Parts: sequence; C-alpha cells; structure tokens
Amino acid sequence: MPDEIRRLSDDLARDPSSLVFMPLADALRRAGQLDVALRVALRGLDRHPYLPDAHDVLARIHADRGDLERASDEWEMALRLDPSHAHANLGLGFVEFRRGDLESAERRLSTVPPADHTPGVAAALAHVRSALGARTTNGVAVMVPEPQVVAPTPVAPAETTPHSTVSVPEFPSPDPSRTKQLFDSALDASDQHALLVDGDGLVLAGAYIDGSGKDVGEVIAAELAGVSSEAERAMRHLGLGAWTSLLVEADEAIVAMTPAPNGSLLVVTASRKTPVGLVRLLLDRVLARARDWLVRVS
Amino acid sequence: MSKTPYAELLSMLSRHRGVVGSFVVSERDGLAVDSNVQIGVHAEAVAALAASLHRKARLACGAAGCGVVTFLRLDAEKGGICAAGRDDLVLVTISEARANIGLLRVEMMRAAKALT
Repeated sequence: MPDEIRRLSDDLARDPSSLVFMPLADALRRAGQLDVALRVALRGLDRHPYLPDAHDVLARIHADRGDLERASDEWEMALRLDPSHAHANLGLGFVEFRRGDLESAERRLSTVPPADHTPGVAAALAHVRSALGARTTNGVAVMVPEPQVVAPTPVAPAETTPHSTVSVPEFPSPDPSRTKQLFDSALDASDQHALLVDGDGLVLAGAYIDGSGKDVGEVIAAELAGVSSEAERAMRHLGLGAWTSLLVEADEAIVAMTPAPNGSLLVVTASRKTPVGLVRLLLDRVLARARDWLVRVS
Repeated sequence: MSKTPYAELLSMLSRHRGVVGSFVVSERDGLAVDSNVQIGVHAEAVAALAASLHRKARLACGAAGCGVVTFLRLDAEKGGICAAGRDDLVLVTISEARANIGLLRVEMMRAAKALT
C-alpha cells in the first residue's frame, strides 16, 4: 500500500492536472489517512468538478470519516452528473441502510441495471432484503449488518466506519440557533456561506459571517428581496423560460442564487479563488438540503 | 436610437453566436443609453430589469463585503442575460442557450472597462 501511494503521489506531482488524484485519494482512504485523502480529493475536484467518479471517491472519504450527510451529498452529485452511476447508487443505498430506511435502500439497489452490477450491488441487495425479512419477522429494530457488504466497490466506505444502530437525526429542527448551521455540512470550506431567504427578504436558514465575524445575513437578505420576481419578469419579457440561477462575480467573492421552494431564494457565496463551475455545483448541493429542510418544517 | 460611442461595441457583442441583443444602460434610472437588439426583443423593459438586478447585486455584495461586482449572469431554461458594469453604466447582453458564455464573459468584462 505505501508503495502504491508513493507511486501515485509521484504521478500526481508530475502532472497535477491528471486524474490520478482519484486512485491516490482512494488509496489514502484505504490506508486510513483520511485528512490527506480529503485534501487530495478536494484539490482534484477543483480542477475536475464534473467527474462523477471523483465525487464518488470524495463520498467514500466522507463516509469513512463518519459524515454520512456529506457522503450522501457527494453521491447525489455523482448521480446528477451520471444518473446511471452504479457506485453512487450503491453508496446512497448504504447511507439509507445505515439510517434504517431499508425500503428506500432496497428500492434504490433494485434500480441498478443488472449490467452495471458490481459484486457489491448484488450482495448489498441480498443483505438489505435479508434485513427487511428479519425486521418483518421479529418486528424489532435491525442492527447494521456487516457493512462491507453494502458499501461501494472496489473499496467499501464502511470498511473503516464503525458499527452503529440505525437512528440518525438528519437535519436540525427549526430551532433558530441550529438553522444557522443548516448548510454547514454541505459546504466545503470556511469561506463558503449559504442563506435561505424568503420572498420578503427575511432569513429562513443559514448565515453569512463577514470578515469581522459578524453575521450580516439579514442585511444581505434584505438587499436581495425581490430578486426572484425581477428575474422572473425579465425572463418572461424575453420568453426564455423560468430562471434557474443568478451568478454574480465580485472582486472578493462569487455569489450564486437560485429559486427555492415556497417562493424562497437560496444564496451561496464562495471566495474568488473558487472556480465558478464549482460554485454552481455547490449551489445544487445546498439546494437539495434546503428542499429537504423546507419539506420538514412546512 | 441615434448612434452613440457604444454603437461599435454593441455591434461587436451582438455578432457573438446566440446573442440576440445588447445594451448600455444606466443603472440609476434603468434607461437604455444605446442598444442593438433583434426585432421582437422588449429592449426598454429588459434594460430596466437588468439594471435593477445589477443594482441589487451591487448593494448585496457591498453589504457582504464582497467588493465591486464585475460580472453578473442570469440563466434561464432557454438562454439568459449577462451584465458587466462600471460606475453607473451597465453593459447587458441577452443570449440564447447556444451562446458561448465563457467567450462572451471575457469580451464583456474587457468592454466594460472602457465604459465612460
């Protein structure tokens, strides 16, 4: 393993734009060097933000770190880029299994076409069905089974994740002190912020901490009141269909917005060094979180 | 609209693939200073809305300490609007989905520096 890591590191050093960051990050993950693996994967994704396999590798790293929410976000991103990505389906099935949602896990794993079946998919499906059967028989909560059966191949994220019982509170409650952190786990760096703003310019969730450490989310939300309706009117005049995103590049930051459910607006900001394409992916990821949360609190 | 110092610039932007119109608009009052649009585009209304969006983005960025807005892009299902401003003037293009936004962005940011 150290030889493989050394060889892949040398390859990446020779050509930093190559795709070797993926096997390297995965090898580091398997060796338990999760922080280094995370850095390698994130740096690679900066250069190649549209590679589903790269999001899959990052998802496995998050899973090994015990961060199933981020892992889930990354696998969802991989599926958005490649809806037939078998490993992403396997990974999400794994997350659903760990959360005790056996029906969803079974449904998801069943949809993977037989042609795309890795050995892991078939085994995972068998295991989920067996657990479903056991639950039906016993009528009691199921303990997580041997996780390597469920996790994606070639290397299962759960190989190093600890066993646990199936009960994971997924999102914060509407408690104001927690809604500010709603998007934290969907963001990649401390210089990224996300705000969910209602149609009147009031903050629903998230926060924006400025350089002095002050939350200026409410001020930004107020300034952005009416953006949705103006964007909508402009597009109606032009006959270009519904607006999907607004991207603003400024000297110090990139601000991306997209319409969210119930007439709300989702705003994501990132530092200027973040590639514009990556900010759009980040917006998609945060939007998925916002949609889920709005369903729960509505 | 009579010929202004921006006619050449707008003509150049309108020659880009997928661009159906371009304007120079005053951010303060939303009035078009000059335009080059295809028939059927509601130039005055879109210019006013684009100016308003640019203003909101500028104020929000100011509040967030993000600095000066250099480029804005509104995407829709079948196309979008791009804007690049300098002082009170904003350069706006309307484009269809087939436009090369990367190229247009570079041209607009370069052109916006020359707006006076």
